[in-house]
Amino acid sequence: MGSVRTVVELDGVRVEYGELVAVRDLSLSVRDGELFCLLGPSGCGKTTTLRTIAGFESPDTGQVVLDGRTVTDLAPYARDCATVFQDWALFPNKTVIENVAFGQKMAGVGKTERREQARDHLETVEMGDYEDARPAELSGGQKQRIALARSLAVNPNVLLLDEPLSNLDKRLRETMQLEIKEIQERLDTPMVYVTHDQEEAFTLADRIGVMNDGRLVQVGDPETVYDDPVDQFVESFLGNSNFLSGRVVGSGTDRHDTARRAVTVEFPAVGAETQLSAANSLATGDEVTASVRPEIVELSPLSGGTAVSPDGGTPEADTTEQHNTDIEQGAGNRMALIGTVLDVVYRGSSIRYQVGVDTNESVELFVERSVARAPDLSAGDRVRLSWDITAVYYFGPDGARIRV
Amino acid sequence: MSDVDTASGTDRVRAALQAASGSISRTRLLLIPLLLFDLLVFVVPMGYLLRISFAKRSVGGGALQKGTWSFDGYQYLLDSSVVGTVFRWTLLFGVVATLLAVAIGTLYAYAAWRASGTTRTILLAGVVMSMFTTLVVKLFAARLMLSPEGAVNDTLLATGVLDGRLLLVNNEIGVLIGQLYIVLPYTVLAVYSVLTGLDEGLVEAANDLGATPVRAIREVVLPHAVPGMAVGGIIAFAWSAGAFAAPLLLGSASERTVAIEVQNLLGQFNYPGAAALAVVLTTVVLVVLALGIAWLRRRGGLRDV
Repeated sequence: MGSVRTVVELDGVRVEYGELVAVRDLSLSVRDGELFCLLGPSGCGKTTTLRTIAGFESPDTGQVVLDGRTVTDLAPYARDCATVFQDWALFPNKTVIENVAFGQKMAGVGKTERREQARDHLETVEMGDYEDARPAELSGGQKQRIALARSLAVNPNVLLLDEPLSNLDKRLRETMQLEIKEIQERLDTPMVYVTHDQEEAFTLADRIGVMNDGRLVQVGDPETVYDDPVDQFVESFLGNSNFLSGRVVGSGTDRHDTARRAVTVEFPAVGAETQLSAANSLATGDEVTASVRPEIVELSPLSGGTAVSPDGGTPEADTTEQHNTDIEQGAGNRMALIGTVLDVVYRGSSIRYQVGVDTNESVELFVERSVARAPDLSAGDRVRLSWDITAVYYFGPDGARIRV
Repeated sequence: MSDVDTASGTDRVRAALQAASGSISRTRLLLIPLLLFDLLVFVVPMGYLLRISFAKRSVGGGALQKGTWSFDGYQYLLDSSVVGTVFRWTLLFGVVATLLAVAIGTLYAYAAWRASGTTRTILLAGVVMSMFTTLVVKLFAARLMLSPEGAVNDTLLATGVLDGRLLLVNNEIGVLIGQLYIVLPYTVLAVYSVLTGLDEGLVEAANDLGATPVRAIREVVLPHAVPGMAVGGIIAFAWSAGAFAAPLLLGSASERTVAIEVQNLLGQFNYPGAAALAVVLTTVVLVVLALGIAWLRRRGGLRDV
């Protein structure tokens, strides 16, 4: 890994617009040949970061290094990178091939040669038949391909993409994601790809940098970022989850390992208590948030709880009924709750269940299942929710992850 | 019975309207008041002028002999030694003023477009404000500024740019400055209005692909600005070819334009000659503009790779 070249290096970059700080002391490095996604909500500074790499913004402090060369004070036209803009920015007065050949024209390449090269790049994006068309005659997806070809045609050291697919419909966006990924792997051009769409980031990225409020919160490969979020922002941004708020009610020694300190956290909303070990930073009274991801929640119909059992047989005795809403600390550290299905939403390939918990009317949890695995439930049905408490993520009062 | 009549009446009206909309669309109907206005203020006076240009000169007293037909006016133009010179000078002046107006106007409009906030407001206000005063007052002000003892010369001397006073009035420089002062606001606004439709992202994209700021202007901004430059150029040329006030107030006897010569002929009661000169000038301007528009149409904006 140490031998991998760094193509983009930002070192302590800060960009201010008057009072507003768009990027706060951000450092990151992009390796040769990788597709690096900058992921974050709108206004988090990801586009400003990309524009700083391209040279459209000059950082107030910090350095921009491209391919080993410090370019902090160089104009965009003097940098060896190319940008695919969100609105594609194709030149309306020029034909498709003139657009694609533009960069090489600026570089002083002769007309025949640059047109030849442009044709190759049009083939790469499967737009060979459109060389004489005007941008206005093209569809959104076609414009997107031309913008990509135009940027690739300057043979950039790094390709910068600023939400290039956000103006396309969902189906086309997914097709284009795969194509960009395929082109990236074939040409091995390193890319920095800005997006607010976590699914897009997971589809494309070799590594993801999650940004919030001008800061790079976490960098890692998609699996790591998803499985091991550093804070509550990353957890909430990467996917929908059920957040339960709790409070530290006391501290003591770990139930299982008396040598370790542990705190007891109460989650009043679900009427449950749990013990967190190795939580030295927490004091009594601190707020703790638990994230229960929908995929860890097991959802089963509560037979006997309803008046008529689905199979019409005698109502079975259900052991969970006795425990009712309290923690079931028995086998496998599972927590179980009883609730009522409030809403069943069909989302095409998956079904989403909104479940109201008995202990507190204001608490709703949701569970999502693919249609094939979806239990046959409808609004009003009584259900049992359970999950492995070791699969729950906990976050402290400052949003930082509490590792247990 | 009456019901049937009414129905068929409405139908007839509808059919008539449909027939009418077949030949003249409703949009075209809306143009009729405008066309009538044009007819009244342009076509009728021009027709009258044309008629006078073909009238006989009167021998004594009156301006022309009513109801007569002759080529006296045009013959006078051919015979006169002054007219040819005046014509050549006017057209040259028109072309130079137009080229300068378009060049300066485009730069100014580009500066205003790239500027933001207060700078942009000041630049645009400067253009619009100069239209608030009448032509003569403006040109008198310009004369005062440009005269040998005026503010411009004083400033240039005081700052050491010059070591002697420049003659900026009563010569072609003064006339040119005065004429530019009149037409520049129109060329600036014509170019600025099309630039507002240009996406600044395109300039960024050009820079991103290796174009220096100057090349980005040439490749992206100018092709987009061409229609505005053409409109500004047409206004500047039509106005400068007919220049009257600027040469009169800021020029000397050698800066005599066709318009001034027309005034002279009117003073000499040579109405057919004056009308003929006006007709020829109008025709030349119209032909130049028609050629310009045709060239623009065929070209359809700049394009090359």
